[in-house]
Amino acid sequence: MADGIRIENLVKTYGEGETAVHALQGVDMHVGPGEVVGLIGPSGSGKSTLLKCLGAVIEPTSGRMTIGEQTIYDNEWKIPDLRALRRDRIGFIFQSPYLIPFLDVTDNVALLPMLAGVTNAKARAHAVELLTALDVAHRAKAMPSQLSGGEQQRVAIARALVSRPPVILADEPTAPLDGERALAVVKILNDMAARYQTAIIIVTHDEKIIPTFKRLYHIRDGRTHEEGGRVEPAS
Amino acid sequence: MISLAGRDILHSWGKFVFTGIGLGLLIGVTLTMAGVYRGMVDDAQAMLDNSGADLWVVQRNTLGPYAEPSSINDDVDRSIRAMPGVARAANVTYLTMQIGHAGRDVRVMVVGIKAASPGEPGQPPHLIAGRQIVRAHYEAVADVKTGFRLGDVVQVRRNRYKVVGLTSRMVSSGGDPMLFIPLKDAQQAQFLKDSDAIVRQRARTARNPALNPPGNPGMVDAVTASQTSNPYVNAVLVQIKEGFSPDQVAEPIRRWQRLTVYTRAEMEEILVDKLIATSARQIGMFLVILSIVSAAIVAFIIYTLTMGKIREIAVLKLIGTRNRTISFMILQQALGLGLIGFVVGKIAATAWAPIFPKYVLLLSSDSVRGFIAVMVICAIASLLAIRAALRIDPAEAIGG
Ligand SMILES: Nc1ncnc2c1ncn2[C@@H]1O[C@H](COP(=O)(O)OP(=O)(O)OP(=O)(O)O)[C@@H](O)[C@H]1O
Ligand SMILES: [Mg+2]
Repeated sequence: MADGIRIENLVKTYGEGETAVHALQGVDMHVGPGEVVGLIGPSGSGKSTLLKCLGAVIEPTSGRMTIGEQTIYDNEWKIPDLRALRRDRIGFIFQSPYLIPFLDVTDNVALLPMLAGVTNAKARAHAVELLTALDVAHRAKAMPSQLSGGEQQRVAIARALVSRPPVILADEPTAPLDGERALAVVKILNDMAARYQTAIIIVTHDEKIIPTFKRLYHIRDGRTHEEGGRVEPAS
Repeated sequence: MISLAGRDILHSWGKFVFTGIGLGLLIGVTLTMAGVYRGMVDDAQAMLDNSGADLWVVQRNTLGPYAEPSSINDDVDRSIRAMPGVARAANVTYLTMQIGHAGRDVRVMVVGIKAASPGEPGQPPHLIAGRQIVRAHYEAVADVKTGFRLGDVVQVRRNRYKVVGLTSRMVSSGGDPMLFIPLKDAQQAQFLKDSDAIVRQRARTARNPALNPPGNPGMVDAVTASQTSNPYVNAVLVQIKEGFSPDQVAEPIRRWQRLTVYTRAEMEEILVDKLIATSARQIGMFLVILSIVSAAIVAFIIYTLTMGKIREIAVLKLIGTRNRTISFMILQQALGLGLIGFVVGKIAATAWAPIFPKYVLLLSSDSVRGFIAVMVICAIASLLAIRAALRIDPAEAIGG
């Protein structure tokens, strides 16, 4: 896991011929382990497309993607089981938390390990540990519908972290939250990245949190431009 | 391992329980339909069993006495009794009719039996109250399902009968309770003309010079008496001696008495396969329709529930849940719904079966079959939802 995420010359074209949409036209990006980078850009610039490629739910047109020391894509998929890749190595956080409504908070977090065969008790204990770290342990037995938006989002973060993935992809995770809560979530992600050496990409439009990123990628016309070096401590 | 389906059912139990109850009532109706058929077969078999007969001797080339009219002379029993292998033989008449009693009409099968001959075929084998018929006239033994009580007086045609005994499980193949009366009375009831007809008949006879020759005044009376007497019965029930096979005894009766003889197996075939067959097909049609309706309900509910969870299923797929796990969840929910429905249906059928006017026999083997059918139907009904769930794109979870 020496290398975090590395993306080289990634191209994604939706459709063909007249109607083709050139969403990504040679994206380069690097996120080190324990690092949190922001990804910003105007609407329709290809941010979600990039996360979908990296998240192995759509296939890029060409280029190269590496997670840790493993090349997952090099003009074609290099891994036979993309589902297992997503399960074991990538955590997802969305704009809406999308918690499973019929499972309580603990089981929402513990679900994946339980499905993967970890004993219920062990998976739940680990879930409670994460919930404690995210400061929602007191709601561990509540149902998702009984939580506030910020609490739900923290549970979703716990779920993304539960299998200790080397990569977390977050698509506008702070959109439904007010300023204070949005900053709190980003702080949590920074803490988690530092603690578990996770490489995290956060797609955002959120003016309030943009200053907190040490490194920022700008995506325009399907190409990334790095705007690193902003020295605003993530606190 | 965690049961996603179970947790979902617990979470939205209201939806499942209410749908389950609706489905359950349908399943209850289905089980009852099967029970009605079983009851008909059981009624027929009970009638054959309780008649105590090994052979039924009826009019030549008829399917009598239950499925077709049959009429034979009432002295045939004597010659049958003399045939090899015959232990006992008894005349019997059957007549299904409506009897007014206590302000309502009761449909009964009036059975004419020889008085004071217990143990003869055709007699009610066991009484639950009172005594057997001992007098040759105006006494009756009734099945409890008639609603008659000991001491009641009931009117059959022109005569009144006192109920002296009660029996049970004595019903016709159509489920009508039996009313036993003395044979002579029954013969009269069956073949009797009303008094006006007799008067006219007598006048016609008197006008006919061949039947009323001058100088022989007694002849017209003799002719009239023979015209109004009824030396007919519907069948002779035969018990065979030990050591003889039914066919062995039946064969000479067929040949020498020129009558049709049915064994127990043949009689059962006539009743169950011929008489009840149409009803069975009718019930079969209902079962098919009810199965289709149940399947449609389960399919619709499971599909709706699944479509309500598109987002969650997309997320489950995105974070790496196996398709198998998701399919299994939906299948389990359908089976869970079926299970609730079956339990409700079984309870409902058991509760309302006794209220049905005809005998409803709920066999546990039918319940087992019904349970398997429900589970298979639910599994098939869940396929639609499973197919839709497998088509959900995990990319949908990330959105635009
Ligand atoms: N499935 C698809 N088929 C065809 N074109 C698509 C598809 N998904 C996205 N696009 C196009 O690709 C381009 C990039 O879309 P994408 O969703 O990546 O933008 P985005 O940066 O996430 O925008 P936003 O900030 O509005 O979420 C857009 O022009 C969009 O119309
Ligand atoms: Mg987007």
